[in-house]
Amino acid sequence: MQVFKLYLKVLKKNIPSMLIYLVIFLFFSIIISSSMSKEQHVDTLFNQQKSNIAFISEEKSPLIDGLKHELEKVANFVDLPDEKEALQDALYFRSVYYILRVPEGFTESFMKGENVQLEKMAVPNSISNTYIDLCIENYFNNARLYVQHMEGISQESLVQHLKSDLSVNTSVELKTKSNKPQNHIYANYFFSYMAYSLLSVLILGITTIMLVFYDNDLRRRNACSPLSTRSINLQFTLANFLFTVFVWMIMVVFCLLYNLENSFNLNTVYFIINSFVFAVCGFSMSFLIGNLVKSLNAIHAICNVVTLGLCFISGVFVPPYLLGSSVLKIASFTPTYWYVNANNQIAELTQFNFSNIEPILSCMLIQLGFALAFFTTALVISKKRRFE
Amino acid sequence: MFTHIFINRLKCLLHDRETIFWTMIFPLILAVFFNMALSNVNSWEIFKAIDVAVVDDTNYRNNEYFKAALNEASKGADRLFNLTVTSKDKADQLLNENAIVGYIVVEEPIKLVVNKSGIDQSIIKSFIDSYMQTVSSINSILLENPAAQKELISSLADRQQYVKEVSGTNAEPNNVLLYFYTLIAMTCMFGCYFGMREVTDIQADISPVAARVNIAPVHKLKTFIYNTCASLLIHLFEIFVLLIFLRFVLNVDFGPKTGYVVLTSVLGSITGISFGAFISAIVKKSEGIKVAILIGVSMTGCFLAGMMYQNMKYIIAQNVPVLSYLNPVNLLTDAFYSLYCYDTFSRYALNMGCLCIFIVIFCLGTYLIIRRRKYASL
Repeated sequence: MQVFKLYLKVLKKNIPSMLIYLVIFLFFSIIISSSMSKEQHVDTLFNQQKSNIAFISEEKSPLIDGLKHELEKVANFVDLPDEKEALQDALYFRSVYYILRVPEGFTESFMKGENVQLEKMAVPNSISNTYIDLCIENYFNNARLYVQHMEGISQESLVQHLKSDLSVNTSVELKTKSNKPQNHIYANYFFSYMAYSLLSVLILGITTIMLVFYDNDLRRRNACSPLSTRSINLQFTLANFLFTVFVWMIMVVFCLLYNLENSFNLNTVYFIINSFVFAVCGFSMSFLIGNLVKSLNAIHAICNVVTLGLCFISGVFVPPYLLGSSVLKIASFTPTYWYVNANNQIAELTQFNFSNIEPILSCMLIQLGFALAFFTTALVISKKRRFE
Repeated sequence: MFTHIFINRLKCLLHDRETIFWTMIFPLILAVFFNMALSNVNSWEIFKAIDVAVVDDTNYRNNEYFKAALNEASKGADRLFNLTVTSKDKADQLLNENAIVGYIVVEEPIKLVVNKSGIDQSIIKSFIDSYMQTVSSINSILLENPAAQKELISSLADRQQYVKEVSGTNAEPNNVLLYFYTLIAMTCMFGCYFGMREVTDIQADISPVAARVNIAPVHKLKTFIYNTCASLLIHLFEIFVLLIFLRFVLNVDFGPKTGYVVLTSVLGSITGISFGAFISAIVKKSEGIKVAILIGVSMTGCFLAGMMYQNMKYIIAQNVPVLSYLNPVNLLTDAFYSLYCYDTFSRYALNMGCLCIFIVIFCLGTYLIIRRRKYASL
């Protein structure tokens, strides 16, 4: 097993640069995955959704207090300083979607039946914009009916009337498909994001070592050793494969440890199988790149461009449903797309019968197909290179 | 002398394909990726008419007011709903297939059936709420003022708009732009590779080239400045290629103040190069470690300025404002952002001021470290 041992020696020297990717990966996946999974949760009762808004009032009156009370049903109020730049920043970074300003004298004019308006700054065409508008227009249109048709109505009694009217509520029936909602968001995100770091570490590690092994002088020296070429290649591939399994295992174990309470279910098993299939694919992709690259400097460049490119277009960094359809079409020619696709389907899985699992299995098969294609191409190229 | 050194340095730098890749090709590739991945990213927050069904039974057919209200809301370009009138079984099936967000059953009170909580579902609910609330208002008005019935119906029809849009600026709050701004800032900071090389090639104890340069009868500082000019020229060219690519190929909006955008890029480039020179001069270790520090600092800066997760910038600005002024990447990003978003120049000027302080510190530091070096032996 001389070749195998040599492999380990070379590997040891390259651990620091691979460690960087590993640490960055773990750091980011903790931060982003935990912030993502906090935002979404599965519920069993219907929840009226709330949008973040800022409410700035230049006057105080029962009518406006009533409005604010009504808005509480559909909005979370975010306190913002009444400065132009602070408001713009908040809107830009979506800390709020809607900024409502009640100008001074609004209530007085409204009670007189004059046509007055509140001022808003909102993210144009946004859902929250429509949602909050609906609520405000409803409040004041109802109020208008009272003002127009009950002459001399006082503000207090108007607000009382409105309060009882607006407490009328639609009954909502929530039909859930699954009876046992589970939280796979963290695992889903973590495993998808793993595509990036797994690929980075594999490409970097395998190609760097291959560069050493494929050095012409070294290869000539090895060729005249009593070991058969077959044995050399076999040991080398085995070492590469073990390296792949090792890297894959570190990442998976970390995910399981970090997310232990949600890990004991069949979904996790499928996540793990899928990621292993992808690791195999990453292994053969790295093998192919290793056969093409000729200098150490180029490795970093190719590694970055390939991994970032694959991950950007196939939905690792940005969820696939937010990508354009043409981008996704291009992405379907890459293994990462099928990996992420399978992951997202696994996260939705509640019943494990064959008809549900079939699409996931076909995603995995496609990945294996890619792996096979990369590997054979790599073999052809390496054969050609040997005769150079 | 200047032209001789300058032109030869230019040739020399242009031969370094690796640096050219990282400072020019890589940002361009990244820009394309950003554009592919992010062009659609805000689609989820844009309102689209909601697919909704109503169960077509006698209750619905008899309830003319609700029917009218629902039809009114499903008409026109800015409609709330795409309405399907269908049987209960069909509605159930549509809901199961996620072809509709929910369906409405007209009974007393009106019922909404959905399969999950969400903002679309909430909007349907709000709409039905508002219908029923208006009915309730009418009833209580009629109770006290029965004579008003006719007028009531007519005033119902002319619903009024009580909210008007006042825009803070002409700029749309298109938050995807920030990713491209951080990308430019990153490219500026990648000028540090050039800065590092300039110092490496002038410090005789680091590289053989520098030892050779030091023998030449030209003042060391002069050589250094001429060389840096060549670096600056190449780097500026790269940034302008990126800017032009972003503006005219990817249609990234920089706002109306083009001149200031260019000025910001120039200052950014100088910051990047002087930063690289400073780190290279202060760290007396191998090139690998220098590169690691440069990448580490600039990528951390990019992360904190929101390149990987843009709300990070806002989180920092809200919680640790000092940090946003100590991060040159953020200063640059924020400068582009202020040019795009604000009508006033105060925040832009503040950013530029901080950047200038950084440049002065970096340049002065580099100068103090590399000046008057004499070597007894090499």
